[in-house]
Amino acid sequence: MSMSKIKLTINGKEIDAEVEPRKLLVHFLREDMGLTGTHVGCDTSNCGACTVLLNGKAVKSCTMLVVQADGREVTTIEGISSGDEMHPLQRAFIQKHGLQCGYCTSGMILTSFWLLSKNKNPTEEEIRKAISGNLCRCTGYQSIVESVKYGAQLLKEEQKGEQEIRVR
Amino acid sequence: MTVLNWKEGDLAYDSSVFVKGKGHFVDDLNLPGTLFMSVLRSPYARARILSIKGGLNGSELKAKMASVGEGADPSQSVSIQPVFATGYVNYVGEPVAAVFGDDRYKATDLLETVEVDYEPMKPVVTMDDALKFPPIHSGMKSNILVQSSRGSDFKDPDSPIVLEDTLENERVATNPIEPRGIVASYSDGMLNVWVSTQSVHSIKDGLVESLDLRPDAIRVMQTDTGGAFGSKGGLYPEYVMASYASMKYGRPVKWIETRREHLSSTNPGRGVRGKVKIFAERDGRITGLKGDVLVDAGAYGTGIASFSAGFIAMMMTGPYSIENGYVIGRSVLTNKVPQGPYRGAGRPEASFFIERMVDLLADELKMDPVDVRLANMSDKAFTSPLGMKIEPAKPFFESAVRELEYRREVKLTNGVGLSFFVLVPAVYPGESARIIVKDGMVKVWLGGNSHGQGHENFARKLVNEELGVPENIVTLFRGDTGMTLDGVGSWGSRSAIAAGAAIVAACRKIKKKVEEENGNYSPELLLSGSYDEFVYEEQKMSLNSFGANLATVEIGKLGNVKIKKCAAYYDVGRALNRDMVIGQIQGGMAQGIGQTLHEGLYYNEDGQLITSSISDAGVPLAEDLPNFTVKIAEHRSSLPHGAKGLGESPTIGVPTALIRAIEKASGKRLRKTPVTPEELIQ
Repeated sequence: MSMSKIKLTINGKEIDAEVEPRKLLVHFLREDMGLTGTHVGCDTSNCGACTVLLNGKAVKSCTMLVVQADGREVTTIEGISSGDEMHPLQRAFIQKHGLQCGYCTSGMILTSFWLLSKNKNPTEEEIRKAISGNLCRCTGYQSIVESVKYGAQLLKEEQKGEQEIRVR
Repeated sequence: MTVLNWKEGDLAYDSSVFVKGKGHFVDDLNLPGTLFMSVLRSPYARARILSIKGGLNGSELKAKMASVGEGADPSQSVSIQPVFATGYVNYVGEPVAAVFGDDRYKATDLLETVEVDYEPMKPVVTMDDALKFPPIHSGMKSNILVQSSRGSDFKDPDSPIVLEDTLENERVATNPIEPRGIVASYSDGMLNVWVSTQSVHSIKDGLVESLDLRPDAIRVMQTDTGGAFGSKGGLYPEYVMASYASMKYGRPVKWIETRREHLSSTNPGRGVRGKVKIFAERDGRITGLKGDVLVDAGAYGTGIASFSAGFIAMMMTGPYSIENGYVIGRSVLTNKVPQGPYRGAGRPEASFFIERMVDLLADELKMDPVDVRLANMSDKAFTSPLGMKIEPAKPFFESAVRELEYRREVKLTNGVGLSFFVLVPAVYPGESARIIVKDGMVKVWLGGNSHGQGHENFARKLVNEELGVPENIVTLFRGDTGMTLDGVGSWGSRSAIAAGAAIVAACRKIKKKVEEENGNYSPELLLSGSYDEFVYEEQKMSLNSFGANLATVEIGKLGNVKIKKCAAYYDVGRALNRDMVIGQIQGGMAQGIGQTLHEGLYYNEDGQLITSSISDAGVPLAEDLPNFTVKIAEHRSSLPHGAKGLGESPTIGVPTALIRAIEKASGKRLRKTPVTPEELIQ
C-alpha cells in the first residue's frame, strides 16, 4: 500500500511520519507514537474512550484517519499535564473518585478539558450534556460530574493565582 | 523470547495512573514480533458448514471449551462449545476460523482469504421455539439444557386470592468500555498469558483443560481490566486460539475484541422469563408460590446458563416468609450467543419475579405495597421452602422504609416504587491470598482479581488493622497465577467477603510466625524479617444481606421516563472503604436503570443480532441518569473483618423499584425490562 507523508503536532512536538492512508488516528497515536493513554472502546464514536483534542476541540480518534490530522495539533491525555504537575482536572478525578476501572478516564478528562475551555463555570446539566458522548460503565457518572465541577473550581483558583503573580 | 518492559510498580493496582493515561491494559502490551489475530465468525444463526478453506480452523484445532469460572458446571458435557465451529454453526458470531497478521489491519485483510460454504438452516431463536422444535444439537433429546426444581410441589390451596403473571428480563450485554483481549506468548516451553479478566485462575484452568497443557507450563497474568461485570470471568474460544497460535508460530499473539464482536460473541446476561403464581390471604399474607422459570442459555452450556435455572428458583420467595414454594427452572438452548453472568447473575431475575408479584397483590387488595411486604416478613430468621436462609427481615425493612422516606414520597407523587431484596453472595468455596513481607514492604496477591472495584483499598486497610503496618507500604498486585497457587475469582459480590477473609487469615498466619520466632509481635519485628504466606480460606456460611430501593418518576407525553429520585438503603456489613462502597452502589444503580429503561439485545426471526453497536445496546449516558441517594447500614457479618457483599445489590433492587414507579405513574401493568416509551403511550 502506498504511504502518505504527514506532518502534525502531538502534545507540542512536531512529528513527520509516513503512514498507510487507511490508518486511524487512534492507532497511530497508540502504536506508532506509544501514547497508549488514548483507548478504543466501541469503534463507532459512541463511547469516547478515544477522545483527543484536535486544534483544541474534543474529537473521537477512532473514526478519524491520521491523514486527516495532517497539519493540525493533537493533544492526548499524556499532553495536558505540565511535567510532573497534573492538570487540575486530573487531580480532581483522583480526589472525587471520578473513575473505577480507568478505561474511560482519558476521554472523560479530555472532553471536560474542552468543556472548561469554553465554559469556566458549567452547571451540572451542562457537564452531563458535554460528557454524553463519553460512556462510563462503572461509576454511574455522578462522581465524574463531581470531578468536573471540582476540576473547574481548581482551574479557576489556579488561573486566579497565575493572574495575581502576573499583576505583581 | 518474551520481553515485557513493565516494571514491578506497573503490575500493581493504582487507580491514580489512569488520569495520566498510564494504565496497563492488555492492548497497551506490545511484545516484539507480535502477531495480531482476527476471527472469522458465522454470519448465520444456524447453518451446516459444507467446507472451510484457509485460516486456522477446526480441522486443525479440535479443542473444546472448558467449563470454568462463575457457575461452572463440567457435567454439561453434551453442549460444550467447540473452540472453532466445525460441522455446524449455532449462533451469529460463532468463531469459524482465525487469521494472523503483522498488525491489526493486515489481520483484518486476511479474513478475506478464508472461504466457508454454509447451508443455512432454520434457527431456534426464542425460548418458545426451543421448547417446540427439535434439539439444535444432535445427541440431545430436546433443547432443555438443564431442568431442576426447588421446594416440593403442593396442591393449589383454596386461597381467596390467586394471582398469576409472566415476567421477563430481556438479554443485556455487559458492555465494559474495555472490550475483551488477550496476549499469549509461548517461549522456552512456557506459555505466558496476559488477559483482561476477573479471574486468572479460571483462565489458566480453562486453557490447561482445553489445550491439555501441563499446569506448570502456563502462567496467566491480569492486565488492568477495564470493567467486566461478569463477562470476563471465564474462558472464551479466542483465548484458546491465541494460546495455540502462539505455541504454533513461536510468536506472541494478540487478540483485541471489537465492540461488534463483543455484542455478538461475549456472553450476555439476563434473558430469563418466569411464570409465577401466588396464593394469598386478604390481609396480604402470601401462603404459597409456584414458579416456572425459563433461562435462554443460547447455543451452548458454558456455566452460568446451566447454573441459573436452579439458582433463580432457589431465590424466588425473596426476603419474604412464604411457607409453601415450588419452582421449576429450565435452561433452554437457542441459536444465540451463550448466556453468561451479568452483574447479579440470576439474583435480579428472581427478585424481579417476586417483587412484581407482591406489587400486583398490593394492587389487587388495594393495599399499600409496603404494608403487603410487612405482612410477609418476620422478626425471626427464616429458611424458605426453596432452600434459602434469611435473617430476620422485618427490622431492616422497617428502617429502610424510614431511611428512604417512603411515607413522605407517596404523599408527594403517585409515581413511587419501593423494592426489597436479599442478596445471596457467591462466597463458596472461598478465596486465596498471598502476602510477602520483604525489605520493609508488604506485597499482596489475591486469587480473584479487581477490575475497577478498588480492592487495593480494603487490602491496605485489612493489612494495617491486622499487622499494624502503615497502609502506604502495602501494595496489592494484579492477579498472577505465578504468584498464587490457586484461587477463585472476583464476582458474585464476593471479594470484600472472601478475599478480605483470606487477607485476614494470611496476616494472622504471618503474625503467629513472628510471635513464634521472637516471643512477641510488633510491626517493627515483622518488617525487619522476611515472610511469605499463601492461604486458601474456605467460605461455607450463608452471608446474605438485605437491601431496599426507592424510585420516583414522571412520564412525559412521548413516554419518556424522567427519574426524579433513585435511592438505595443497603446493609453492606462493615464498610471497609466508604468511598469505594458508595462508588460501587452508584455504578450498579446506573446499570439497574439501564436494564429497566434502555438496554436489551434483540435478534430478528433469523437470529440476526439487531443491536450491534454500543448505542443500539442501550448503555445509559450521563444525561439519562439522575444523581443517586445512597444510604448504608453497617450490620457486621460474623467474619472477623465484618464484611458483607454489595456489588450486585443495586442491579437487584433498582429495576424492581423503578419499574413499580413507572407502573404507578403510567397506570399500566409492566411485566418486562426494558420498559419502552412506545409501551407507555400506547
